[in-house]
Amino acid sequence: MSLKLPPVIMDNGTGYTKLGFAGNNAPSFVFPTVVATRDSPSGHATGPSIPSKPSHLSSNIASKRGIEDLDFHIGDEAIANSKTYGLHYPIRHGQIENWDHMERFWEQSIFKYLRCEPEDHYFLLTEPPLNAPENREQTAEIMFESFNIQGLYIAVQAVLALAASWSSNKTSDYVLTGTVIDSGDGVTHVIPVAEGYVIGSSLKHIPIAGRDLTYFVQQLLRDHNETSIPPEDSLKVAEKIKEQYSYVCPDIVKEFKKYDQEPDKYFTKYQGVHSVTGKPYEVDVGFERFLGPEIFFNPEIASSDFLTPIPDVIDNVIQSCPIDTRRGLYKNIVLSGGSTMFKDFGKRLQRDIKRVVDARIKRSEELSGGLLKSTPIDVNVISHKKQRYAVWFGGSLLGSTSMKNMGQVSVGIIVCSAVSLRNMVASGDDKLL
Amino acid sequence: MILLEYHNAVVEKTLAPIVSLKETVLDSTVVDFDGVVYHISTRTSKDVIWFSLSWSCYNELTKWGATDMLRKEYGQYLISSPEQGYNLTLEFDLKNLPSTEEEREALVKKMALIKRNLLAQPFEHAFDQQAQFEDNDQPNPQPDLMQIHYRDQEAIYIQAQHDRVTVIFSTLFKEETDRIVGKVFLQEFVDARRLPNIQNAPQVLYSHKEPPLEIRHLPEFRHLKESENVGFVTFVLFPRHFVRGDVRDATISQIQLFRDYLHYHIKCSKAYMHSRMRARVQAFLKVLNRAKPDPVVVEKKTISGRNVIKS
Repeated sequence: MSLKLPPVIMDNGTGYTKLGFAGNNAPSFVFPTVVATRDSPSGHATGPSIPSKPSHLSSNIASKRGIEDLDFHIGDEAIANSKTYGLHYPIRHGQIENWDHMERFWEQSIFKYLRCEPEDHYFLLTEPPLNAPENREQTAEIMFESFNIQGLYIAVQAVLALAASWSSNKTSDYVLTGTVIDSGDGVTHVIPVAEGYVIGSSLKHIPIAGRDLTYFVQQLLRDHNETSIPPEDSLKVAEKIKEQYSYVCPDIVKEFKKYDQEPDKYFTKYQGVHSVTGKPYEVDVGFERFLGPEIFFNPEIASSDFLTPIPDVIDNVIQSCPIDTRRGLYKNIVLSGGSTMFKDFGKRLQRDIKRVVDARIKRSEELSGGLLKSTPIDVNVISHKKQRYAVWFGGSLLGSTSMKNMGQVSVGIIVCSAVSLRNMVASGDDKLL
Repeated sequence: MILLEYHNAVVEKTLAPIVSLKETVLDSTVVDFDGVVYHISTRTSKDVIWFSLSWSCYNELTKWGATDMLRKEYGQYLISSPEQGYNLTLEFDLKNLPSTEEEREALVKKMALIKRNLLAQPFEHAFDQQAQFEDNDQPNPQPDLMQIHYRDQEAIYIQAQHDRVTVIFSTLFKEETDRIVGKVFLQEFVDARRLPNIQNAPQVLYSHKEPPLEIRHLPEFRHLKESENVGFVTFVLFPRHFVRGDVRDATISQIQLFRDYLHYHIKCSKAYMHSRMRARVQAFLKVLNRAKPDPVVVEKKTISGRNVIKS
């Protein structure tokens, strides 16, 4: 090709898939990771039915000219067709569960949406931390054998999120050590990364994420009797309110006082339109503006089974990491995912972690009787503009700089196991090595 | 999705500011089939959008009327000196666009089809030449054999003849499996044509390693190596396939996506076979699991004849 074609960056997440080309600022497509097929959505029906005898024995060949395997939709179109088709979510908890559907999902995302010939492109895919090598192997197998792609690089999402933070002006050097707080819709991960490697033994999941926030806001709206909201829209309204008005407050008590003193300044109104009758309605938006995101910091207000605030979780995670990485991990706490987008989320997180860390240092100094003085620990929470699609953006960044000369990518970045590399060689692609 | 779409969805989406007239900073590189690269950017100010295209066969296309088409269809937006590294550049000033939203939508749609329109020109040219053969008032032309090297190692050859237009694709398969699946596929093209309801479809011929007579004299095929996996697919289009209007447009749109269509379906077939294999493995596993021998239960008795009861 005359002009070098940009690598394709695909970030297939549990909820949404982000597709695009390296070097761009934002993914070209963001749509739900869902496949709509003709067969019933009950998960156990995997794959097509197998004929009882080999095809040359059965007489009716014409009946096999079917094109049922092409009759499917992905993404938003799948949702739109959910009345006549069955919806399947091929990715569960970040891991690919149904390879048949995933293969077809890729098929259409490459040919229909990105419109590129996979044989001409390099691909960058993402995987969750602690992904099984078998999954990686399977992914590589499909990519090389079905699509004949030029080269593949499977990056760990957390590492890409770290790379995305280089776009922030707070960071000066390109470090691959840091703690990634990745909060999407389903679950929040705290992932420590040292020199490009995930410290698997220390990472933690927090069962509080976007969806829980939405439920909590919905509950709050119900509690203060917002009768104007039509019941079938209530979740959608809660989601809108969460996205549009929520922010993180420095102190919850003071914030309540502020609202009481100057209600006009803080209380707002949400304008909605009834989805069936089309009648407009209004919802008062008050304390839920700051109470929603507060469940990260005071989970006891929403749930009863998970009670550790997020700053404590992060601190515990870093404390359980090897001692020589801890300073680096505190220094570079990176946010990624839609549920970290609240205003001042980073600021509050930084302050709370700093408080915990300083208290510990003070105590250890006291215990030593003033003999030991330790250098203060830098706590830095980095938020940046590309936070929402941080993983994809990190991929785009890496893809545009290093995919062209993949052989020279530093060892720190390549997080492939020997198994998958061997597999790539086996499938006849030695360009990667 | 059996057929591929003609327009480029990413271009359409990226150029959304043209419809909404919203000023945004753009800078994205987008690709299309056959190595087309678009660059959509806002250079100097937020309200001027540049749209550049680069394609290896652009110079060949200009020989067959691509420039005229560009002038006619996109003329007012075309700028004389294209962006560095690209073949052509169009400039959209948000302050200076059609006033209604429908017109702007149509414009964006037209931009998403620019690759199709460019590659359509040699076809139009061939169809016109064929029309001259039909027309008794005009002298018979010397039909051009148009070569469009639209990919690195693959090309389309188009030639008008007195009663037909021949379109030849040279295809190259990188992998052995693809070649086999592709061969089955092309065989099916020939077979499927025997079905009564598609008798009117154009004739399709497939030859492997052996270039068709129309292009055998070309220097590039003189020394065709035995090892090369080149195949040739010939479409014979009769005048009924390119009646002016919708039929002609549909023919051009479909035929130029032939290669991508072929490769897309090879990939789909492989995916389908993979799912069959997975299902088969699962079925075998079930059988294997069933075949596990049951633990043998032997009745044990004490010497006095009582049963041993396991606690």
